Amino acid sequence: MLMGEKEPQFYVDGVRSGNRRILAKTITLIESAHPAHRQLAHTVVDELLPLTGKAVRLGITGVPGVGKSTFIESFGMMLVEKGLKVAVLAVDPSSTRSGGSVMADKTRMERLSVAPQAFIRPSPSGGTLGGVARMTRETLLVCEAAGFDVVIVETVGVGQSETTVASMVDFFLVLMLAGAGDELQGIKKGVLELADAVAINKADGDNVEKAEKARRSYAMALHLLNPASPTWSPPVLTCSALTTNGVDQLWETVNDHRRRLSATGELDQKRRHQAVAWMWSRIEDGLKERFFSNPAIRSQLKGVRAAVERGEQSPTAGAEKLLFLLDNAR
Amino acid sequence: MNFFMEIAMLRAARFLWHDLLKPFNPKNPKSSMLRTHVQTSGWSLTEQDPYNNIIRTTLEALAAALGGTQSLHTNSFDEAVGLPTDFSARIARNTQILIQEESQICHVIDPLGGSYYIEALTNGIIQEARKIINEVEELGGMAKAIETGMPKMRVEESAARKQARIDQGLDVIVGVNKYKIDEATPMDVLEVSEQVRDEQISMLKKLKAERDEAKTQNALAGVTEAAEKGGNLLAASIEAIRARATVGEVSDAMEKVFGRFVATTQCISGIYASEYSDQAVIAAIRKRTDTFMEKEGRRPRILLTKMGQDGHDRGIKVVATAFADLGFDVDISPMFQTPEEAAKMAVENDVHLVGASSLAAGHKALVPQLVKSLKAAGGEDILVIVGGVIPPGDYDFLYKAGAVGVFGPGTAITESANKVLNALESRKAA
Repeated sequence: MLMGEKEPQFYVDGVRSGNRRILAKTITLIESAHPAHRQLAHTVVDELLPLTGKAVRLGITGVPGVGKSTFIESFGMMLVEKGLKVAVLAVDPSSTRSGGSVMADKTRMERLSVAPQAFIRPSPSGGTLGGVARMTRETLLVCEAAGFDVVIVETVGVGQSETTVASMVDFFLVLMLAGAGDELQGIKKGVLELADAVAINKADGDNVEKAEKARRSYAMALHLLNPASPTWSPPVLTCSALTTNGVDQLWETVNDHRRRLSATGELDQKRRHQAVAWMWSRIEDGLKERFFSNPAIRSQLKGVRAAVERGEQSPTAGAEKLLFLLDNAR
Repeated sequence: MNFFMEIAMLRAARFLWHDLLKPFNPKNPKSSMLRTHVQTSGWSLTEQDPYNNIIRTTLEALAAALGGTQSLHTNSFDEAVGLPTDFSARIARNTQILIQEESQICHVIDPLGGSYYIEALTNGIIQEARKIINEVEELGGMAKAIETGMPKMRVEESAARKQARIDQGLDVIVGVNKYKIDEATPMDVLEVSEQVRDEQISMLKKLKAERDEAKTQNALAGVTEAAEKGGNLLAASIEAIRARATVGEVSDAMEKVFGRFVATTQCISGIYASEYSDQAVIAAIRKRTDTFMEKEGRRPRILLTKMGQDGHDRGIKVVATAFADLGFDVDISPMFQTPEEAAKMAVENDVHLVGASSLAAGHKALVPQLVKSLKAAGGEDILVIVGGVIPPGDYDFLYKAGAVGVFGPGTAITESANKVLNALESRKAA
């Protein structure tokens, strides 16, 4: 334990001065499931809040195998070469029954992971309620306060996490592959509605033509959706993380989006709405957490569940019984 | 080791090769004959009671000879602890010579052909191998299969299963999990001094100073051109090497066109724990990691890293998947890290400890540098453990350099996990 690790000022000063070690420890604090850490984390984040808001917040999703990590490697390196400071927050799905996880993102970000201007932090998602991106928003804010110009949040495009991530970033990029057959395979159509841009990755070698074809068919599909903003209709591009073709252009697109939405004030509005939405989602998480940590509920949960399973009690009656216990807590 | 299986594998491979070449209508009958080079297993060598390795290698070499290999490499008995000495290298060479010149084994072609057991095994392997070959074909060939990470994943899966069986004593390894001896066997271990590195660097400098630079660059441009246009890379490479280009320069010339291959790192999960039949052992460690989580607010987090020019990552992947199964959060670094890079990653990810795996004798230089780099990056509270091929004589050195645990070959993963948790718990008390 380092000196002062129990004091909020230790974290606030460290993050403000751009100390990587303390930034990393602050993220650990935010992610901690320990009640005492929670309280401390809230104080730290609140104190840092005035320093946030300057970075480009970018979310990236795509199904496993689409090449997210490799894409972030080329995209991140391009940003670093432009002199920008880049933070990458990667959420890893830990799947084992043990609750442990293996995080191997950085093995696919060989250059970016050692670049001094880059900070990459993979987070295990397992074990805690609310799952994957529960704490990512706070982490994102802390990275902003530490002076990063671009914060990238990477998420696997299967499950609930992409909606959560889309609701904390300015720009949400969906990576796709030129696949055979059904072009919308694998990824839920709802995810496309969240996209501020779609990029067909791996447009290299003999895949260029297929990628172009896929680009056109996605452009058609997106055209049918109502754009979320009147000033921005999500474009579909092709890129190759391998040859870095099209990666520059994607950054241009992100900047273009930023310029246009800033001009109309939509970006500010979006961020304000996101903050309120975030509060609601934290309330939902908090309710769930209170429910499952309530001692009376914990002692009865198994019995009620079994009774519902055996058909001795109706699901509604079972739910009411448990919720009643929550009402009468304390 | 499975003596008869090894023999059957070679026989099956010969059969399959002949069969797979048929569609190409080979004109020269020699094309249909499989020629193999066999190296005895480095993985099967043990640090404990190391002279047993001579016997292991002999049995393995014998299997290769009876299976009909054309060429053979026998490992030295001390390779679980270091690079071979002149003595161990001589014994290894003599193992081959004994088989070839004294035993008269090589006078007969396929001496076990017709044995019921061997033929049944051979046939079984042919059937099973065909299934895998078809699977690879369906993925679009081996190059495509490697891109998907399929072959590596299968290897790692099988390695994790094997490790779980050895850790429980289900697969017998003499001197490691059965017939153990208490006293360590004294043995000479080759020390490679830093001087070798300096000598090599000065030789490279001399080479580069004395070669005809224009000719070299011209030849290297030829390599790049062959890579671009799909020409004969081998011919171009030989040309470049003749013009005194280094292997590094030749591969750089190709990288300009091809980029650098990055292995798809996918980690399997659940294999180690499910193969471990004594679930009480697993449950006990999981309970410890759960308790840790309750106290600290997160799971014990470990960065496993390979530093230096050391491409042996099978072991570290087995440890990674097993530790995750036991309730750890495990980060894996890219290969070939410098100590500074490993420290940066450890600090960013805020791990509790770094596990450095070393199989290429770099530990005495790299581990102290890692400890220093951690300190420089503000990570002096991050613990360091070392695993891999570590000569017994180096343990003290590593402890003095700041490691809190050293795990040589043959350490059961359940044991190292418990020791790691011990170290983490006593750290908190301090």
